[in-house]
Amino acid sequence: MTSTSTPHALHIDGLRFSHGERPGDRFAIELDEFTLPRSEEMLLVGASGTGKSTLLSLIAGLIQPDRGSIVVDGTDVTTLHGAELDRFRGQSVGMIFQTFNLLEGFTARENIELSLLFSGTPTRDHRSRTDVLLKRLGIDRPDAMPGELSVGQQQRIAVARALAPRPTLVLADEPTASLDPENATRAIDLIRECCREDEAALLCTSHDPVLRTVFDRVEALDDANKAFVGVEVPE
Amino acid sequence: MTDLSIILRSLRVRLFSTLVTIVTVAVAVGLLMALLMLRTSGEKAFSRGTGNAELLVSRDASPLESVLNGLFYANAPRNSISLEKYDEIVGSFPWEWSVPTQMGDSFKGVPVVATNSDFFTRFQPVDGFDWSFEEGRRFARPYELVVGSEAARTSGLKMGDKVPLTHGFGQSRESDHVHDNHRFEVVGILDQTNSSHDRAIYTDLVGSWVLHAEDRVERDAHGHDHDHDHGHDHDHDHGHDHGHDHGHDHHHHHDHDHPHLEVEDLLPEDKLITGILLSTPSRGGGSVSAILPQAFDMLRRDTSITVASPSNQVARLFEIVGNVDRLLLAMAWVVLASSGVGILLALWNSMEQRRRQIAILRVLGCSRIRLFSLVITESVLIGLIGAFIGIAVCWGGTLVIAGQLQTRLGIVIDPGLDPRTILLVIAATVALAAVAGVAPAVRAYRTSVAENLRPLA
Repeated sequence: MTSTSTPHALHIDGLRFSHGERPGDRFAIELDEFTLPRSEEMLLVGASGTGKSTLLSLIAGLIQPDRGSIVVDGTDVTTLHGAELDRFRGQSVGMIFQTFNLLEGFTARENIELSLLFSGTPTRDHRSRTDVLLKRLGIDRPDAMPGELSVGQQQRIAVARALAPRPTLVLADEPTASLDPENATRAIDLIRECCREDEAALLCTSHDPVLRTVFDRVEALDDANKAFVGVEVPE
Repeated sequence: MTDLSIILRSLRVRLFSTLVTIVTVAVAVGLLMALLMLRTSGEKAFSRGTGNAELLVSRDASPLESVLNGLFYANAPRNSISLEKYDEIVGSFPWEWSVPTQMGDSFKGVPVVATNSDFFTRFQPVDGFDWSFEEGRRFARPYELVVGSEAARTSGLKMGDKVPLTHGFGQSRESDHVHDNHRFEVVGILDQTNSSHDRAIYTDLVGSWVLHAEDRVERDAHGHDHDHDHGHDHDHDHGHDHGHDHGHDHHHHHDHDHPHLEVEDLLPEDKLITGILLSTPSRGGGSVSAILPQAFDMLRRDTSITVASPSNQVARLFEIVGNVDRLLLAMAWVVLASSGVGILLALWNSMEQRRRQIAILRVLGCSRIRLFSLVITESVLIGLIGAFIGIAVCWGGTLVIAGQLQTRLGIVIDPGLDPRTILLVIAATVALAAVAGVAPAVRAYRTSVAENLRPLA
């Protein structure tokens, strides 16, 4: 494991990733350098298919790059493998998905506690940490199954689950894609607020132009060459 | 939240599939356990019934039939031995003890064994255990009854009851001829021995001789062939071809005066027995007499009798049924193995439905190896629950089967669960379930996280 004393939540250097052999299917990400300081937030925009979700998967260590380093909280995730990588992801990276990806058959409380279980958080702290999040996020039916709750409540559970292990970095993949504009604004405000309170950096992807007005820092993936092109000034 | 609670939630989400799989395993385990238990306890029950009799002499067609009739009361022996022959056999060898028995009568279908008091003092119903009485005492004179524990339950006989005996039992019970010229009084109820002897009633041999001698006199007086088959060489043939109508129905509730005989009136042909239980003197306290083979060979030379070693015949019986037994056991193992395939298929199919769940768990930090062990544990848990339910069902089922065996065949089986057998079956089921879980676990292990996290269309 490579560990550095960098103050950044995320630092990417010389990242190269390609997928697909045929010209029509070929897909590549080339990112020379990118940094997200601790406790800061950023919106990554781009049309569908530009590689936003793939980049998040690379950062979370769910897929391996061809080259380059991805340093999260001082640890290069490209050097981690197997259970070590999984444990690191559980501890340091929280993920929020467009469709929430809550586990059916588990109550709201249990969905949150699962992330604590796999992050290695001491069992004695599970209940208290979950109670804090349930209260802070206004989840009033902790023993209900996800399917019994409103979309708004489900989103809150997804946010609570991502933040439960106190990660350094939260990756939100199109978190508002399935919401109407009013609820989308409310949801992104909730995510940002919670990340700020927990001092977690937030990297959010979206192709929703509305969100460009919300984040101070917005960058784009170029959909011509699939390369990260730098800062895009908010409208 | 623990790994176990994840597994239990997973089982609950697929409740129907889980229950069907568990039931499949339970049925297989129950079947296997039942066969194992019945085989063991059946052999034990048969072995117990031979008691401490080393040899059994009769005039049955084969030694096995002799043992089944003489000690397990399957049917009344059809051929008898005269008292003269008994005296000759007893006098031919320095036996440790000898006990004559005669069978042919019954009460409410329960066989009545006529014997002498040595039956209670020398013969042990289970080797090493003497008779003991729940109530009363052994018979001291003719027309007294001692009732086995199971016989008391099935017949309803209580101390002090005075009842007539019926001619014949088992397959020989071709009529309901009641010996109503004598009432037999219950003077003792025996403690349970868990052997075939619990389901018989015992009475004094002399009383039985008198009873049948009176029947003979009555038949002679009426001049018909009213013959009884116990202890005789010919078939039972009641009354349809009676030469005359003597005013009673075919149940033979005679409403005319019966002849009354005394012991002194008995003729040699009245003094018949159907079996002789024998034991040879043992040397140096050994459990098996060294001179037993010698005694056995001596008796075998007499072609007018059938001599059987009860323990050998029981072993032979289990050899005969052994092949069927092994086949059934092999089938039970195959059924258990097929239940393992059931687990495999159920989990394999569930992996297809759970790809997204697996991907989410991986994102939350669950390692591949932990996921693998979760699926294996889930499989083992299904096997374990199925095994416990199967054993419980088997326990209940075996009690029912044991009850049927006792009622229909008189074989008293104690369906005791041998802890080693239980552990063996549980271990085998768990091992099978673990193996069955490997392929689904590998499938879970290999599930791609990134691909399965994409939003559903």
